[in-house]
Formats: sequence, structure tokens, C-alpha cells
Amino acid sequence: MHFLVIPGIIAAFSVAVIYAALQLELSPAMIVGDSLQPRVFPVLLMVINLILAACLAFQYWTKSPKKIHWGGLQTWGSIALWVIFYPITVYIDMLIAIAVIMFAMCLLWGERRIYVAGALALATPTVIFFLFDKALRVRFPRGLLTNWYYG
Amino acid sequence: MIDALQAMASVLFDPYLVFLIFITTVLGVVIGVLPGLGATTGAALLLPFTLTMQPVHAIAVLATIYVSATFAGSITAILINTPGTSAAAATTFDGYPLAQRGEAGRALGIAVVSSTIGGVFSVIVLCIAAPMLARVAYEFRPPEYFALALFGLSMLASISAGGTVRNLIAGVFGVWLATIGAEPTTGIERFMFGNYELYEGLAFVPVFIGLFAMSELLIQSKRANQVVDKITMKAVKLPSRDDYKRIWKTVLRSCGIGTFIGILPAEGATVASMIGYAEARRWSKNKEEFGKGAIEGIAGAEAANNAATGGAMVPTMVLGIPGSGTTAVILVGLMVHGLRPGPYLFTEQVDTVYQIFGAMLLANLLFLAMGLYASKLFARISLVPLQLLWPIVFALATIGAYALSSSLLDVWIALIFGVIGFLARRHGFAVAPIAVGLILGEMVETNFQNSLKMFEGDWWRILTQPLAALFLLLAFLGLFSSPIANWFSRRRS
Repeated sequence: MHFLVIPGIIAAFSVAVIYAALQLELSPAMIVGDSLQPRVFPVLLMVINLILAACLAFQYWTKSPKKIHWGGLQTWGSIALWVIFYPITVYIDMLIAIAVIMFAMCLLWGERRIYVAGALALATPTVIFFLFDKALRVRFPRGLLTNWYYG
Repeated sequence: MIDALQAMASVLFDPYLVFLIFITTVLGVVIGVLPGLGATTGAALLLPFTLTMQPVHAIAVLATIYVSATFAGSITAILINTPGTSAAAATTFDGYPLAQRGEAGRALGIAVVSSTIGGVFSVIVLCIAAPMLARVAYEFRPPEYFALALFGLSMLASISAGGTVRNLIAGVFGVWLATIGAEPTTGIERFMFGNYELYEGLAFVPVFIGLFAMSELLIQSKRANQVVDKITMKAVKLPSRDDYKRIWKTVLRSCGIGTFIGILPAEGATVASMIGYAEARRWSKNKEEFGKGAIEGIAGAEAANNAATGGAMVPTMVLGIPGSGTTAVILVGLMVHGLRPGPYLFTEQVDTVYQIFGAMLLANLLFLAMGLYASKLFARISLVPLQLLWPIVFALATIGAYALSSSLLDVWIALIFGVIGFLARRHGFAVAPIAVGLILGEMVETNFQNSLKMFEGDWWRILTQPLAALFLLLAFLGLFSSPIANWFSRRRS
């Protein structure tokens, strides 16, 4: 049954999209005319995907897919850091969040010199911030540092 | 023609543009030698930095990154047996063995010269072929555009890395992503789940940053702490007269192969270099040398992958159909800067178009100089520890995703698509079809709907249009010729 996992996930996703598409509003016939209702095209795509998922299941059944290397601590640790990035950005400050995540990522990926990781985590967001703020005139979201900077 | 040449030459009289091209060529070479970064990721990361530039400058920057990063992959391929970009994978076959024999400088010299010839050749073809194709494309109506978009997707699915079925699934997923937001004709909201920031659809830039840069970060994480063997080199040597005698036919052949494959809507440079290498071997009198340091192998792969860059710009600019991940980013760059890709670009913005071509030509000549005189320095950059490089990429990617519309939602989109891209790639699904599907999605749906309106709801009448039928036939052949041939050969055996 291992061969059904990925095609199964694709099929489940396709069915979910078809369900969501069927909940979409119908447009008046006068507007649609000879064309399609907005729900038809996504449904059509997902029907194609269901057929392709069946083909994929057949392929996996005839020839087992290569064993997947799921990645180690660095991979999943990085994803976990991205999850942490959200609350720090929303509740504290985006630039602080970037610095924290960069510092943690350096250490997670094997950097042993804490001062190097710290310097990189401080310097990079600072340089990028001033580049975007001064040269590209991008305003960053409000937070602890940006409130202080923008006033 | 004279106007076109004047527009191309005008690049040289814009000091700011020349400066930008110079800086971007250096940056492109740095991006190319850094393992994992490559032209697509580099272009996606740099796109937000071009926001305040003039359209010509912005697209010239992206095109220069494409050209120079594609070349630069060969430096690390030859010196440390690690292709900086996937397009340089074939260069490792003979480049590294030649370097191991103490001839790294010669190998790099051949790679640099072949790449330059390939790049210049393809820009010349681009200048000639693009306006001709544009004249044909004026006649296209919705059925032709619909069929063409399907052809583009099918080619990408059948030729890209991974299997056809998996690539098609990725492409269909990309087209579905394009349906998120308000439906163009009726304005009915689709798959927005109450989030009005998605009303105009998913923004391309954060999705691309996620699919290319963030997913690559996760892929590279398994290489953290990896130690590479580097080869020392004294200086890059220009090919000798004997070398030229041995490689000139190979280089010319690969120029043709690379440009042709680049023009096809498919994953240009990587496929081109593999075919260029295979053809160099097939036609060589010294087949036994291949894999042990044959200079024809290096020349064949390098001329082909750089020739593909100019070729790939043809469908991107003329038809709005990107052939690869990098050209998809360039296409988004065109849109962001208000340039409408398509045949009308060649009448409405003709100077801009030729200035972009001129910039590509200049970039090709600049990397010749850099390759000859600074390869040794650039090779050192490739030894930057991954644990310092990728956190910087993370910072650039998050701020880049935010910068386009100052929206935090775009940052979350980039991170989510980073994870999606990582999982997809882990399971053998290429991410380029997702990106191209996202770009072509609206083109497919809108032109299908307009075709239905044209033919009063009879969809099959699309097949009565000769060009549309031809594109659909090519799409069908692209998808099914290989499985059908395999099936017949299995039956026969």
C-alpha cells in the first residue's frame, strides 16, 4: 500500500478542491454566456489531476519509487524556525525575527563560532533594512524597532 | 535593423546601465559559483531590488543574472566537481578529470570561451528570430494562445527533470494556483477563504521566492558541514590553436543545439548542456577520452547551456511563455515593470527590447573577461560555509517577498511555498512546472473562455483552427510520444 501514499494525498487534495469549487457562487447566465461558470475550470483541472494521480499510482505500483531521504535535524529544525518566525514578526518585530532566526539557523547548521553567527545575524538585517528603506523606499511593518525608527 | 542595432548600441552610452550590468555580472558569477543558488534563485531574490529601477535597467539586471550565473556554474564544476548550477552538471564529466590532471586553467579557459561563443550566438539568433516570431504571433487569437499555453506546459512537463506524470501534476497544480482570487470575467471569488488580499490572485514573486529560494534552502540543509575537495589552479589559460582546432565544430554544433532547445518551452540550459555533451561525444573521434578530461566534452556542454539562455528569451518575450524557472522570473519582472510580454512588445517597446538584448550581449562579453581573469577568486567564494550563506539567503528572501507589496501575507506565502517546493522536490516533482503553470494559468483559462465565446460554446471548434490544432498535436506528441515508443519497444522485446 506504500505506493498509494503520494497519489492518495494528491487525490485527496483534488477532491477537496472539487468540493470547495462546487461551493462557489454561480454567475448569472447572462454574464457567462457561452463561456464557463467560474467553478468549472478548477473542477476540470482537478479531474485531470485525479486521472494523473491514478497514473502515478500505477507507475509506483509497477516500479517502487526511490526511498525518500526526509532530511535531518537541520531541515526540520529550519522549518520549525520558520514557524517561530511568525509570532516574533507579528508580536515583536520583523527585523528582530529575521536576526533571531538567522542566528539560530547558523548554529543549527553547524556554525560553532557564536560571535560569527551573532555578527552575521545583526549585520545582515541591518544592511538589508537600510538598503530597502533608503534606496528602495520600502516601509517595514510596525514593530519594536520600526516604531522607534519611524517614530 | 539599423534602429535595432542603434538601440542595442545605446546600452554602451548609458553609463548607469553599463555599471549595473558590470555589477550584476559579478553578482551573477558569484551566485553561479555558490552551490545551490543558481540563476533562478538569484533572479527571484534580486527581483524585489529592481522595483525602483527603470524597466530596461530592471530586465537587463535579471537577464544578466541569467546569462552570467549559467556560465559561472562551470567554475565550481571544474574546480571542485560541484556544479554551481544544474546547467553545469555535464561540465563536471570532463572538466573535473581534466582539472585533476593539473590542467584546471585549460579546462576553465575552454569553458569560458565556449560559453561566450554560445551566449553571443544565441543573442544574435534572438535578435533575428524574435521579431520574425512576433510577426507570426500578431495573427494569434484566443484558440491559438490557449493551445500554445498548453503546448508550453506539456513541453515543460515532458522534458523537465522528474517524470512526465509528476511534472504534469505539478503543472496542473500551478494552473490551479492561478485560479485563486477573483475570476476575471465574472468577478466571483475563488479559493480566497475570506482573505481579500488574495482578490487579485497569488502574487508571483513570493511564490517564486518560496519555490526556488526557500525550498533550495531546505534541500541544501542536508549538505551542511559537508567538506569539499578543491583543486588548486595557477591561472586560466586561453585555448591553444590545437584546442581550437579540436573544439570549433563541437562549439558550433552546441550553439545550434542550445539555441534550438532554448527556444522550445522547456527547461533550456540543463537539457541543452546534456544534449550538447552527448552530441559532442557522438561526433568525436576521441570517444575514449570522454569522462577522462576530453576538451570537446567541456566545450559541447558549455556552449550549449549558454546558447540556451538567448533561445529561452524568444518565447518568453514574444509569446509570454516562459521556458524555464529563470525565464519565468524574468517574465514576472517584465509584468511588474509594466511591460506586456507578447508580440506587441516588439512594436510598442521596441527600443526597450533591443536594449535588453544589448545588455545580454554585453553581459556575455563581460563574463568572458571575468572568467579569464577572476575565476580563481570566484572559485574561492564557492567555499563560503553553507551555515553562513543560507541564513543570508533566508533574510534576503523574506524581505524580498515582503518588499513587492509591503504585505506580510507575501512572506507567509513564500515560507509556505518553500515547504511545498521542498516536499515536492523530495518526491521527484519539479517546481518549475508549478511556477510556469501559475504564470500560464490565467492565459489558459481566459483564452479557453474567449475561444468558447468565439465558437458559441463548441469547444471542439478550437481544433478546426490550423495553428491551434498544430500546437495541440505537438503538445500531445510531446506528452505521449515517449511512453508510446517505450510501450512498443517493450512489446517488441
